[in-house]
Amino acid sequence: MADGNAVTDADLRDEVRAWLAANWTPLPARQPGPGGAGWTISPEQKAWLEKVVEARWAVPRWPTEWYGRGLADAQARIVEREFAAVGAPGTGQDRSNLWANTALAYATPEFKAKIVPALLKSQVNMCLLYSEPGAGSDLAGIRTRADRQGDHFVVDGQKVWTSGAATADYGMLIARTDWDVPKHRGISFFYCPMKQPGVEVRPLRQITDESHFNEVFITDAIVPAENLLGPLNAGWGVLQTALAYERSVMGDGARGPRSGVAESATEEPLIALAREAGVLGDPVIRQEIAKSIAYKKLNALNNARAKAELGQGTSSSIMSLGKLAMSRILHEEARVRTLILGAGSLLEGKDYPRAEDANFLTLNAYFTSIGGGTDQIQRNIIGERVLGLPREPEVDRDVAFRQVRGNT
Amino acid sequence: MANIAAEDLTALTDSLHRLLQDKSTETDVRRTMETPAGYDPELWRQIAEMGVTGLIVDEAFGGVGAGPVELERVMEEAGAVLLCSPLISTVLAAGLIQALGDEAAKTRLLPTIADGSKIATVALTGAKGGWTEDGVSVSAAGAGDAWSLTGTASFVTHGQIADVVLVVANAPDGLAVFEVEPKAHGLAIKPLPTFDHTLRLADLTFEDTPARRLVATRPVWDAAEEALDLARVALAGEQAGGAKRALEFTVDYAKTRAQFGRLIGSFQAIKHMAADLLLESESATSAARAAARSLADGDKNAQAAISLAAFACADAFSTITATAIQMHGGIAFTWAHPAHLYLRRARADAQLFGSSAAYRERYLEALGA
Repeated sequence: MADGNAVTDADLRDEVRAWLAANWTPLPARQPGPGGAGWTISPEQKAWLEKVVEARWAVPRWPTEWYGRGLADAQARIVEREFAAVGAPGTGQDRSNLWANTALAYATPEFKAKIVPALLKSQVNMCLLYSEPGAGSDLAGIRTRADRQGDHFVVDGQKVWTSGAATADYGMLIARTDWDVPKHRGISFFYCPMKQPGVEVRPLRQITDESHFNEVFITDAIVPAENLLGPLNAGWGVLQTALAYERSVMGDGARGPRSGVAESATEEPLIALAREAGVLGDPVIRQEIAKSIAYKKLNALNNARAKAELGQGTSSSIMSLGKLAMSRILHEEARVRTLILGAGSLLEGKDYPRAEDANFLTLNAYFTSIGGGTDQIQRNIIGERVLGLPREPEVDRDVAFRQVRGNT
Repeated sequence: MANIAAEDLTALTDSLHRLLQDKSTETDVRRTMETPAGYDPELWRQIAEMGVTGLIVDEAFGGVGAGPVELERVMEEAGAVLLCSPLISTVLAAGLIQALGDEAAKTRLLPTIADGSKIATVALTGAKGGWTEDGVSVSAAGAGDAWSLTGTASFVTHGQIADVVLVVANAPDGLAVFEVEPKAHGLAIKPLPTFDHTLRLADLTFEDTPARRLVATRPVWDAAEEALDLARVALAGEQAGGAKRALEFTVDYAKTRAQFGRLIGSFQAIKHMAADLLLESESATSAARAAARSLADGDKNAQAAISLAAFACADAFSTITATAIQMHGGIAFTWAHPAHLYLRRARADAQLFGSSAAYRERYLEALGA
């Protein structure tokens, strides 16, 4: 990947530091969007990202013709460390920006030239149009269709679990383009323009009584042919790349309590909660707290070790382990919070913030154990791709999708 | 504590791996575990030549001068093959001698421990087996060069084969460490029947047993904890290595055993168990290595890291070996199958130097709760 003008670590470090010293000033904090959905990006943040991209710090691992520097992973991490040291965002997008990485790898040259810089600079908002009411765990069973008509595709169908759909400019869409081949082989991957009459977004009310997701009804929507990513009918492969990035984000962290009533900044939340509730001396509760904290700490150690061992090659398999771990962490922490509160957890509302948090976290843990692939699907993936166990027989694998039984 | 270069560590673990693949096969383990000594003197000599027995002993006393990081990796290899050896006792004894700061004792004892010619152990807990300061069960009386011990120390690892026996005992002026001749008058060594046949444990009963008091340049329990920390890291490595191997042979079996016309590994009932165990196994490895690193670095969070590794590795090894038997089915219910040997080792390791529950409590205390 090196571009022939290899830079030494020390020179690179000096260059980043000098650039940050000359350009970086702290930005106002990011704010959640309306109803807690998504994040709004301020003009200052956009201006900063623009600078980072133009100075080629946004994606240092990428090739020079695409805003990068062709740096090896170890050197890119030097850049990331220097940015992190001053609290500046914007670099490391070659690892973390799922939209831009997917587009760089698969978009047509015309579309790539238009969309990649806009994505790196957060000038466009994005959403995911994957799941359908009839295709959740079995994502390859999608029935949204895209039919070619001249220089564009016409899309019809229904998508669900789409966050940020109301504000999105584009959705990364999978749709069926061939019904006469087995399910994985007739899917294509598009950047679907969201702001058009054929796309209707309706909020979905969750068990947490929040609305972070939408249903998206697509009726005769138009997608230009240049927005196709990868070859026609090869969308399943494109999707795997995109899913790997999404899972890596989900394995890295999750939401905390929502009451907004401060918890200790210096102490583990469960210890602080038990202290506050007067049960920190209870030996049973202490054992449960230790187990719960340990799950979290062990996951952090696993992630650190995986990163150290793998270097750049972000492996979806290791990250799948992280997501399964995170799911247990969240369910267990919520369970122990409930144990600590006892009958206090019967209540809800702003006057009972600890109960509110415990109950919210209990319900929201399913966001991680179902979303982005259920724990059960993750275990299949780990079993098959990491441990090399044989696949479950699939009755629909070699059958034309038209003949596969659907939900009726 | 010192570290050796990364490539030297890799070379060491590689050659140990090859030696153990050759000399500590299942057949070797089964043969050795039925002998009274419970270890293979010839194999012990060979691993000593590699520097394993003197790994943590200072170079000045004939050792390698390595630290917890190297120790943990070596123990992963030993644990993977269920090596029958007094390695853990050696770590505890050498660690205690070095931690105490008795220069004469170092000169007298460490070179023969390092070269493997003498087997050393530490007696430091009573019948409750807590390995805590208040669990010290032997008393010392005397003064100057004339000391004697009375009482019973329990669960002394490799006590029946040790050439050098160190005893932590309560002297009138506080806790102290004594060296006792295995053949000393008034010392009764009673081998204990162990559930893990690859382990040797003994009760040591002292009745006015003559003993030599070692000099301590620091509080004795601090030194004992320092030695125990090394042993905890070593044990965590052994557990992580054993857990990984048990999962490997279980997954391999699921790829070859067919029922209902399918390999059993294709059933989600089996596959999901394997996936959960992989998380346990990887977490154990991460925890053991992080504890070793944190102890080596003298990190302020070392106590939390070691306690975490102690219970995470113990629980992972126990869970993996127990579930491994279930995943195999009937074949692993037979004595001839190795799965139960791993379960036995896991259950033993889960009690040595303290229980998982005790380490969870220590962990919370280390976190300030």
